[in-house]
Amino acid sequence: MKALFSSIYSWADERLGLEDLVQFAKHKTVPVHSQAFWYYWGGLSLFFFVIQCVTGVLLLLYYRPGPDAYDSVRQITYDTNFGWLVRSVHSWAANLMIAAIFVHMFSVYFMKAYRKPREFGWWSGMALLGMAMVFGFSGYLLPMDDLAYFATKVGMEIFAAVPGIGPKLADLVRGGPDVSEYTVHRFFALHVVVLPAVFVPMLGFHLWLVQRHGNAEPPSEEAKPEAQRQSESFFPNFMMKDFAMWLVAFNVLSVLAFMFPWNLGPQADALKPAPLGIHPEWYFMSQFQILKVFGDWFPGKLGEILGIVAFTAGLMLWLLIPLYDLAQEAGRRARRATYFGLFTLVALIGTTIWAYLVL
Amino acid sequence: MNYPFWDVPHIGSGWVIGLIAIFHMMIALFAVGGGFYLVLAERKALRENHRDWLEVLRGHSKFFLLLTGVFGTVSGVGIWFAIGLANPEATSALIHNFVFGWAMEWVFFIVELTTAAVYYYTWGRVSEELHLKVGWLYAAASFFTLFIINGILAFMLTPGDAWLAVAGTGQEASRFWQAFFNPTYWPNLLIRTLICASLAGVWALVTCSRIDGERQPQLKTSLVRWSAKWLVPSFVLLPAAFVWYLWTVPESQRVLLHLGISTIGSGMFTQVTRMMLIVGLTSGVIVAVTYVFAWRSPLEFNLGQASTVVLLAVIATASGEYTRETLRKPYVIGRYMFSNGVRVATVDQLNADGYLTRSLWTRQGGDPKRVQGEAMFRGQCMACHTVYGYRSMRHLLGDRNRDAIGNLLTLLHDYKPDSPYRAFMPHLAGTKEEIAALRDFLATLNAPASPPPASKVKKIAAANK
Repeated sequence: MKALFSSIYSWADERLGLEDLVQFAKHKTVPVHSQAFWYYWGGLSLFFFVIQCVTGVLLLLYYRPGPDAYDSVRQITYDTNFGWLVRSVHSWAANLMIAAIFVHMFSVYFMKAYRKPREFGWWSGMALLGMAMVFGFSGYLLPMDDLAYFATKVGMEIFAAVPGIGPKLADLVRGGPDVSEYTVHRFFALHVVVLPAVFVPMLGFHLWLVQRHGNAEPPSEEAKPEAQRQSESFFPNFMMKDFAMWLVAFNVLSVLAFMFPWNLGPQADALKPAPLGIHPEWYFMSQFQILKVFGDWFPGKLGEILGIVAFTAGLMLWLLIPLYDLAQEAGRRARRATYFGLFTLVALIGTTIWAYLVL
Repeated sequence: MNYPFWDVPHIGSGWVIGLIAIFHMMIALFAVGGGFYLVLAERKALRENHRDWLEVLRGHSKFFLLLTGVFGTVSGVGIWFAIGLANPEATSALIHNFVFGWAMEWVFFIVELTTAAVYYYTWGRVSEELHLKVGWLYAAASFFTLFIINGILAFMLTPGDAWLAVAGTGQEASRFWQAFFNPTYWPNLLIRTLICASLAGVWALVTCSRIDGERQPQLKTSLVRWSAKWLVPSFVLLPAAFVWYLWTVPESQRVLLHLGISTIGSGMFTQVTRMMLIVGLTSGVIVAVTYVFAWRSPLEFNLGQASTVVLLAVIATASGEYTRETLRKPYVIGRYMFSNGVRVATVDQLNADGYLTRSLWTRQGGDPKRVQGEAMFRGQCMACHTVYGYRSMRHLLGDRNRDAIGNLLTLLHDYKPDSPYRAFMPHLAGTKEEIAALRDFLATLNAPASPPPASKVKKIAAANK
């Protein structure tokens, strides 16, 4: 058996250069230090994305966009063997993926891993987070139950609030003045064609950058002399641990999907009043609350505009951090950037909790 | 019902027991397996002259003493309080039947607690032989606590025909040993013993993770790997032990594992089946993760990784306990007492005389029908259901109107052999008037809510814009 495997490997290696990849992986190292735990979160985000792809394809076999959307999801949930499980895994993994990307983003931020030469890693990562949120938003509508319908209506108000182009943009995304079956078609196309077509190459670019520059060390490690720093080989040591973390993540996902199967509410009915406490998904609650607060402080269009401006300004500051946090001295944290990160983290969590409290 | 009702909003009284029990099991099973771990590790250290192991074991025995002697005992008492409040009839039945069983259990508890303290405080103060003997005494006493409590826990699922033949006659104690060594006793004991060994390894890994691998690489490698080996027996034998266990479980309970969506709520499997799958999956993940983190890289094995293994063990233990509890449905004591505390043998009498005639704890004043309905709800539904939270009545009743609720209650009351609810719902006892009062009460729970306040109306209008 070993000889057979060896000859197959040699055959493939001759044609594909597998040995080069193995040697590359063996020589690649990952730093070992007290904060190395945060290195796993990028891999976890990737793992959840893989789960999304697999379960998404399975759902695609039965899902019918348009007027049958609700009925097809009802069939998936109640009639198709294991349909409830696949749908539940898809929905939970979507949330866990976005949560994992957020953790990854903040760990990258506080490790200062956006600094030269990793600026494009930061920007491509932010683009991936943005796309993941749009994935979530577009996927949320697809079952067309009442919660999905009204939450999308509320979410579209964020689009509509963009000064100038907002209303037109919202109409374009909705396929009309209101959420309808046309919106389902557009969101479906966005969810399964447009976004994957952009997301996957961007993910490839992001991973390529990680391979090119390696894992960044936190400032406290950089301050140490080279001889005191520790590392381990990527293959097989770190990769095995990465897989172990994937297994743990899979376990957590399974518990959630098994024990809290994703609910399917009553079919959306535009003529019915919205259920009480309707709101977008948790990862949009912060923006939702900021817009609401500005709307309360400055009634009318002014509030909406100021809300959008405040939010956009914060986002730009966050995005452009590699351009103004240029401190490169070993072990010296650029304190202001760290404080800004802490402020952002607290503001994001705070406004999200606030939004849920006042629902 | 001779006892007052315990109303725990949102999570229900069952989950109060559940949360305490899961916490307790993580420690109690460690108390058994950990005793063997300590004494076998000490013996190995002495025989193979690993003197450096002894200092780590001393630290581990302190951790062990604190965890089992404080948190284990307190949570054990907590379970007593909780089960007495949540299901007093079942607790009463167990006490009356197993009073001498518990007396034996407490004797072993006292030996266990004493020897655990002596074991820790005599490190280096008595001869190594004597210290080992204390360790063995602890291990034996702790195993006997498991040996005894296992009989009582297994009894609740399968009391056995011999005991059931005399149940309710006042002669129950004459079949003590038949009830104790009931049909599921031995497979249950094997499963629990294997879990004890696993948890001994899991908790030991927490201690081992704190050894400085740079300073003592040999010590850390040897102890981490030796501790990880404690997970192997359960990984190898648990599947077979579980099959044996299922084989001894009555078909009426086994059917709960493959019932479909039409019976117990959302999902293609029953909750108990899903839980069982979680147990299997998590057990496999624990072994895989331990292999990667601990066995392959013992020197880098840290507290975070050890905590991950503990967390997984909590998930497996919690799912296992939930499965075991749920498998008993619709009984709290198999074929003897329903989960609502109604004895099987008394149903006809309660139907004729009334369920509430024996209840001393109904609310005074107010609409008598509503009081009656609420008392029926508290007595016969609230052992498993809450109004708004866990197994919410409001959610389960859905859009059913008063008549539909009445039909459902009739199904539960008639309890015909072909009723789909028989598999997991208890017999609803009471007179026609009491059932009607319960129907009316339940109809108020899922009635349309009163109009929302003006502030909410504004929000709805905005959402509908």
